[in-house]
Amino acid sequence: MDRGMVIFLGALLTFSSSWLGLIVFPFQQLGYEQPYQKSESDDPYPQPLQGIALAGKRVYQANGCMYCHSQQVRSERFGNWWDENGEERTGADIKRSWGLRRTVSRDYIYDNPTMLGTMRTGPDLSNIGVRNPSAMWHHTHLLNPRSANPWSIMPSFPYLYKREKIVGYRSDKALLLGREWTVQPGYRWRPSEQEWDELLRERGSTILAQVLANSPAETFDLTTAAGKKRLLDFWLTTPEEDYQIVPTTDGEALVAYLLALRKAEVPLPEAKE
Amino acid sequence: MTAVDIALFATVIGSIVLFGGAAVLALGWAFRSGQFSNFDRGAKSIFGPDEPIGEPTDSFPDMNDKRS
Amino acid sequence: MATTAALTTTVPQYSARERAQAAAERAAIDASCRGPVLFFAASAIVWLLVGSVLAILASVKLHSPYLFTASPELTFGRVRMAHLQAMGYGWLSLATVAALLWQMCRLSRAELVYPKLLICAGVLWNIGEFLAVVGIIMGDATSVEWLEAPAYAPPFFIAAVGIVSAWTVAVFRRRREQHVYVTQWYILGAIFWFPWLYLVAQFMIFWSTAAGVVQPIVNWWFGHNVIGLWFTPVAVGTAYYLIPKIIGRPIHSYYLSIIGFWSLALFYSWAGMHHLIGGPIPGWLASASTVGSMMMLIPVLAVAINHHMTMRGHFHRLRYSPALRFTVFGAIAYTLVSVQGSFEALKDFSEVAHFTHYTVAHAHLGVYGFVTMIMFGVFYYMVPRLTGREWASSTLIRIHFWSVAVGISIYFAGLSIGGWWQGRMLNNPNVPFANIVNYTLPYLFSRSIAGTLMTAGHLAFTVLFVMNVAGWGQQRAGGPTFFVEPRSDTARSEQLVGGREA
Repeated sequence: MDRGMVIFLGALLTFSSSWLGLIVFPFQQLGYEQPYQKSESDDPYPQPLQGIALAGKRVYQANGCMYCHSQQVRSERFGNWWDENGEERTGADIKRSWGLRRTVSRDYIYDNPTMLGTMRTGPDLSNIGVRNPSAMWHHTHLLNPRSANPWSIMPSFPYLYKREKIVGYRSDKALLLGREWTVQPGYRWRPSEQEWDELLRERGSTILAQVLANSPAETFDLTTAAGKKRLLDFWLTTPEEDYQIVPTTDGEALVAYLLALRKAEVPLPEAKE
Repeated sequence: MTAVDIALFATVIGSIVLFGGAAVLALGWAFRSGQFSNFDRGAKSIFGPDEPIGEPTDSFPDMNDKRS
Repeated sequence: MATTAALTTTVPQYSARERAQAAAERAAIDASCRGPVLFFAASAIVWLLVGSVLAILASVKLHSPYLFTASPELTFGRVRMAHLQAMGYGWLSLATVAALLWQMCRLSRAELVYPKLLICAGVLWNIGEFLAVVGIIMGDATSVEWLEAPAYAPPFFIAAVGIVSAWTVAVFRRRREQHVYVTQWYILGAIFWFPWLYLVAQFMIFWSTAAGVVQPIVNWWFGHNVIGLWFTPVAVGTAYYLIPKIIGRPIHSYYLSIIGFWSLALFYSWAGMHHLIGGPIPGWLASASTVGSMMMLIPVLAVAINHHMTMRGHFHRLRYSPALRFTVFGAIAYTLVSVQGSFEALKDFSEVAHFTHYTVAHAHLGVYGFVTMIMFGVFYYMVPRLTGREWASSTLIRIHFWSVAVGISIYFAGLSIGGWWQGRMLNNPNVPFANIVNYTLPYLFSRSIAGTLMTAGHLAFTVLFVMNVAGWGQQRAGGPTFFVEPRSDTARSEQLVGGREA
């Protein structure tokens, strides 16, 4: 009596049942879905990623963005909470405007890998391209998320940007950020009191003129500590004169990918609830 | 129902019958060949003359075994 | 209590000659395993340390985002992926292999053949692991959970796993012990399931073009089963060997253990799709997995009852035996995490817990509280029998136990509470996202403290292991059983001097 064979056959049998049920059947059911086209004149939906956005997906993968950001919108009936009147409500994803409708399998037919995600340390990104179409916002946010949301715990991505000396005139792609965000890319820079005093001594009038050019209504009493601090606060919000921050190829690609995330936008018949 | 649906349905039913049948056969074989008898012997198979039942085999290096 | 329980089973009387023979055979088997098993164990510990450092980094980064923020290699996403790879395929898998090889030899009463080829498998595995972790850090990660390793690492894993599986079967086929003990069932299942799982997942996700939502389905079928059908069977099987062996009492019900094995094989493989609950997958798929998860209560309760009944009347031995202490901690955590997991698969529960730190806490109760603790347990039992030396310091063992036990408890409690309310707030669109992030911060901080404690324990364990292998521990004078010098049997060990491995 060879019980090894029994264990082997049993292990084979039990395991292949789940393999059939959870892998082979879903593959048959979902593996051959086609894009949706309402009428001949419409563009089919979804569209595969192309060009620089496709390269951006690699950056998204390499840096593990999906470990904090999901890419799925759940149904209007999913999850519950109680509003001010004590009434039970559902469907937070759509009410948070993370999508117009729930996402369905057809939204993902061109995704590879399909980064649905399992964590929402940060918000969902299924349709971030619709929700926030400003490339400049994404760049400033990626350079240092605290520049957009002071409470954010997202890492800064200064390595997707480069700080360079301005030659001639400022580039169109340069980030529109005050010097506090650009002197030390990724961090928030602020001179110490002594450093600030020294800066004022060396080029005080230039700094004052520059701040006043941006907000002419202000007055600063530079004899008091409070006045100096107020000038510093204003000066930090003005851009650096000689340096600029521009996205690297990877940075541009990642933002192109984010802007291409436009799921849950085109209505699909099977997503109706 | 489309042809794909019917094919899927047939595969599901087919595999349920196949797996259920195999399970029933395996159970029948197990009973007939005495797999469900004499469990005691199996449980004791890890003990032997040098490490018999009733003798603990592990303790902290600084502790004497307090077995009564 | 202990005496009555022990006396209820009849103890056969053996002659000194029989004892000496059995002891010599056991010593020869342990000696045949020494090289490869210690190699797997040592490299597992190296990856445990690497994984711990990565874990602390990732944890601290979540509440102090400016830490090393300018370095692409140390950005949170990469560190987190590298942590999972180092722990999952480095520490856990290599420790699992060490444990299963040694137990398979002992339970089959057969020596390990061609140990050098197994060391080759260990080397291959470590090369693969190194490529995986370094590749991820350098920016080649795939962002497929549990399969983050860049394409150049899997061939090494596949070759190594193939050799390990083949060797385990070879040992099993050369067995002298007629009875196939339940631990061997679990091991045989695991070494068959893991290569299949890994190959199917690699093939369907990376080598063929299964795009769309089929990918996450395959991904979670793999991700859940690599725990359920690779780590879990070996860890549960180890508990089934160690607990009876240490307290010297056969398991309470052998029948229950077999029911447990087959129901685990059948139901665990069906769970997993609840990781995608509410997602864009067919409803029937999540339902099937929910059923599978609930059915898992059968094997879990079977194991829980069985281990508890075996231990009954012997709990005082937890004071004396380090291996037992870790193993029983793991066995209790197995019951807790599995019952929790079954309920977590229910829709109402999952609607809150999904996408939150609650799930992270659950995962760590499983892979750490359960699997890792049992692996520590088997290391404490196995390593002295392989090296012929006792552990050098009881104090270090106690430091190890208490820092990891307290560490994982803080970890679990903090993230479970924080994660649960995070989930409730995520479900209420009137709560701004900023509030949710701020709310979780103290809990994320508690995780860093927990992780530091656990790492301290790992350091104590590493020191112990290095000292033991380097020959710092007291050498055993002889006799078949390490550590225990039963007072009544001192004469016996003198008789046995000829039987021990010199």
